[in-house]
Amino acid sequence: MNNVGTPPETFQALIIRLQQYWADQGCVVLQPLDMEVGAGTFHPATFLRAIGPENWNSAYVQGCRRPTDGRYGENPNRLQHYYQFQVAMKPSPSDFQELYLGSLRSLGIDTEVHDVRFVEDNWESPTLGAWGIGWEVWLNGMEITQFTYFQQAGGLECFPVTGEIAYGLERIAMYLQGVDSIYDLVWAHGPQGDVTYGDVFHQNEVEMSTYNFEHADVDALFAQFDQCEKDSMSLAASGLPLPAYEMVMKASHAFNLLDARHAISVTERQRYILRVRTLARTVAQGYFDSRLALGFPLADKDLAEEVMARVAKEKAQQQAKQERADKAGAAK
Amino acid sequence: MSKDFLVEIGTEELPPKVLRQLSETFADGITKRLADLQLSFTEMTAYAAPRRLAVVITDLAEQTPDQDIVSWGPPAKVAFGADGQPTKAAEAFARKNGLEVAALAGLVENDGQQDKLCVRQTLAGSNTEALLGEIINQSLAALPIPKPMRWGRSRQEFVRPVQWAVVLFGDQTVETTILGLTSGNLSRGHRFHSTGNIEITSPLAYRDTLYNAFVMVDFAERRELIRGGVIAAAKSANGNAVIDENLLEEVTSLNEWPVPLIGRFEEHFLKVPAEALVSSMAQHQKYFHVVDGNNQLLPLFITVANIASRDPKQVIDGNERVIRPRLADAAFFYNTDLKTSLEARRESLRKIVFQSKLGSVYDKTARVSALAKVLAPSVGADVAAAGRAGELCKSDLVSEMVGEFADLQGVMGRYYALNDGEDAAVAEALLEQYLPRFAGDKIPATATGTALALADRLDTLVGIFSIGQQPSGSRDPFALRRASLGILRIIIERNIDMDLKVAIEAAAQQLALTDTSDELCVQVLTYVTERLKSWYRDDGITPEVFASVAALGLSNPLDIDSRVKAVDQFSRAPEAVALASANKRVLNILAKQDDSSLAAKVDPSLFEDSAETQLAADIQRLSQLIAPLVNERDYIGVLAALATLREPVDVFFEGVMVMADDLQIRANRLALLHSLRQLFLNVADISHLVVSK
Repeated sequence: MNNVGTPPETFQALIIRLQQYWADQGCVVLQPLDMEVGAGTFHPATFLRAIGPENWNSAYVQGCRRPTDGRYGENPNRLQHYYQFQVAMKPSPSDFQELYLGSLRSLGIDTEVHDVRFVEDNWESPTLGAWGIGWEVWLNGMEITQFTYFQQAGGLECFPVTGEIAYGLERIAMYLQGVDSIYDLVWAHGPQGDVTYGDVFHQNEVEMSTYNFEHADVDALFAQFDQCEKDSMSLAASGLPLPAYEMVMKASHAFNLLDARHAISVTERQRYILRVRTLARTVAQGYFDSRLALGFPLADKDLAEEVMARVAKEKAQQQAKQERADKAGAAK
Repeated sequence: MSKDFLVEIGTEELPPKVLRQLSETFADGITKRLADLQLSFTEMTAYAAPRRLAVVITDLAEQTPDQDIVSWGPPAKVAFGADGQPTKAAEAFARKNGLEVAALAGLVENDGQQDKLCVRQTLAGSNTEALLGEIINQSLAALPIPKPMRWGRSRQEFVRPVQWAVVLFGDQTVETTILGLTSGNLSRGHRFHSTGNIEITSPLAYRDTLYNAFVMVDFAERRELIRGGVIAAAKSANGNAVIDENLLEEVTSLNEWPVPLIGRFEEHFLKVPAEALVSSMAQHQKYFHVVDGNNQLLPLFITVANIASRDPKQVIDGNERVIRPRLADAAFFYNTDLKTSLEARRESLRKIVFQSKLGSVYDKTARVSALAKVLAPSVGADVAAAGRAGELCKSDLVSEMVGEFADLQGVMGRYYALNDGEDAAVAEALLEQYLPRFAGDKIPATATGTALALADRLDTLVGIFSIGQQPSGSRDPFALRRASLGILRIIIERNIDMDLKVAIEAAAQQLALTDTSDELCVQVLTYVTERLKSWYRDDGITPEVFASVAALGLSNPLDIDSRVKAVDQFSRAPEAVALASANKRVLNILAKQDDSSLAAKVDPSLFEDSAETQLAADIQRLSQLIAPLVNERDYIGVLAALATLREPVDVFFEGVMVMADDLQIRANRLALLHSLRQLFLNVADISHLVVSK
């Protein structure tokens, strides 16, 4: 058990260490999605891959934007843009928790010294129509990771179940480096000296907080939301679930910005969440159908056949019902 | 012929708030099924830890008892033809019971009416071991799991993923399928202090084997160990630990091997109200807090680690680093909140819906304020202070602090009011408005707090009833049951002489209902006073006693309470039974008459019997005697006086025929009985004390 590594000295070394660890577990290491998302879960490599019977193992860093969390660079613990390291394994391996604890040891966290705990915290995303059962992981009382077994995504039951790990990279790095402010984290040892998180992102936090809270154009954002909603629907109808999903992410981010601008009242808020969820559900079904049309190439053969047979049966029943209804109609 | 039995279900971390409930339900499920199978045992012990549920049963019978089975068949005359040969019916019966047809001839018995075929067999008991799998699986399936989950590529559902299962019967491993796994004799120890599988050699070795693998499986033992450790940790820093039982329960559910550790936070945070710091520590971090001899918060916290760390200092350091930003947040919320007065904050309540048909929370505060002013004189409160408290009573709901910690509502209102320079009575009332929060909680101690607490609850009650959302069955989304009990407790325990009907009408007036019907007020009044029934039942007062007072349809809770207590005491007196039956008898007699058959006034000249004269004289005397007592609500005194009527009443009923042939005499006697009954109705209708058979 004592395969404890030496702690990575820099923020980037932490990322590289995690990438290597999960690459060794057979994960497809991806690069961050080039779009604004609120969490690593939104990346198609988690949300869409959680749908249907296909296997999928992946790990990646994802920049996350939460406009309302911005503090103009003044709070040492809060950012409107931060990084998650995301792992999605489907089906979730039976030793998933052990694999995760192994990753902590590889980061130099000795689990015989530190108090590491799985504390109940179930996850739900009302906008994605998704929920799961899981924990937040505590390191000496600090939440460093969200650990979830997906049960539903886009309103569809998850089978096999995707296991998701979302590391809060800044928090872990602060712990490993022993600093009290995110901005003091060493990002890299540069030729001219250490480059800190503040050097890389402080100005961005100040300006983006100002934009999010003060300058984001409310009317344009409302219009953008409507346009994305329209496009997503028509793209889904045209059998293009992937671009349709990009529109869902854009609509969701527009909503988050409107929220930061306090442009959405409490009662309207629920309605907007519902609109995004409706899109997410439509896209989820569209993605399922598109993978079905391909014969679920990444699924275990038996499971792919089982699901295809089930869908065919449901279709036949649906058709028979329709025919009976037509007949009954004609008889009248 | 018995063996010990062990089942252990190993899982990933179970939800801490329901761990003990899961454990108890699982154990009950198993013992109930054993009882159903008539399987005897000596003792059952349930174990629960974050990653396991286990049950050990000692001396479990190895076999279910033999069963005598009696099967009756067709009547002999149907079973055998005239020739004595078995018929088709007989053949079918033989087949069903696995017998040769030839054997049937000797199997005729009389069932008390006729001769029938009858087979008596002894069914040998089944092997307990073979039944264990089903007992376990049925008990698991019956667990209360609101959100069952799946994992991996398994169709199994359970509260959390299952990792292993151990089933032993005696020293034997029982292999059976449990939630998709095959059970064995291999458990697992502590997540970090133990590696690999742990072999369990026998059910009785279970507890100690796991203890040696750093898992304390006994929930209560673990809880008490934590309690002791937390107290000792606080003592080591010259403080006293404050232990909330719910938090202790949760912490116990989060640890396999609990190690309490004490840490510090910076002293300057103590400028923030202690309640806010405590909420932050308990809710976010599950820490216990520490106070000094004067009950003042110390800058210390106690965390319970799930590990005997090789370097506890690192665990403490880590926790101190976590609590610092948490407390800094609390301090930030507090300092931000101080910048806006409760009065200014009240404006934001206009945007918050109380209930769509009852307007905003701001509207509610306006109603509560007006109502509190109306109620103030009767509770001895200053009218202006009560009104002011009403205006400000919900402002803290939109403060940063209460937004983060909902349980600080009222607590923060008090601090902020004091900071705003509000009257101390107003500040205290903001805190006390929520009392009592639960059964057994304290009630408001100040008069202004009392006025506010009553006004807030009455407004909610009448408002929700007025829009037809009153509780039905077990559905009580607005907690009106609790609100009603709160109103009653405050009025009675604070000795407030208040007509609840009038108070309800005042509340209805504030609502500016288009239909301020009497009907609504009566409906609310009935709902609230009905709560008294269960309240008195919990106090050990019989439903009959309460019914005797309730029959009068009173609406002053304090008055009702005095009467109930007097009747309760009276009901234990030797005269009670006779007088209650006499009242019942009078009631029955009078019920059959219409009013016209009663004389308007008792006329002594019409008496024929000395018993009549005596009773009339006693009634006359007593009615004068009790009049001042009734005014003073000395119902105990009244009933003590009326108890002396037992003898004259008995003598009257023995010697006097009420329904005399002479209509005038009859009317006079009925009038006498009527006046007797009226005398008792000054306190209660004690005819209800007659227990119906």
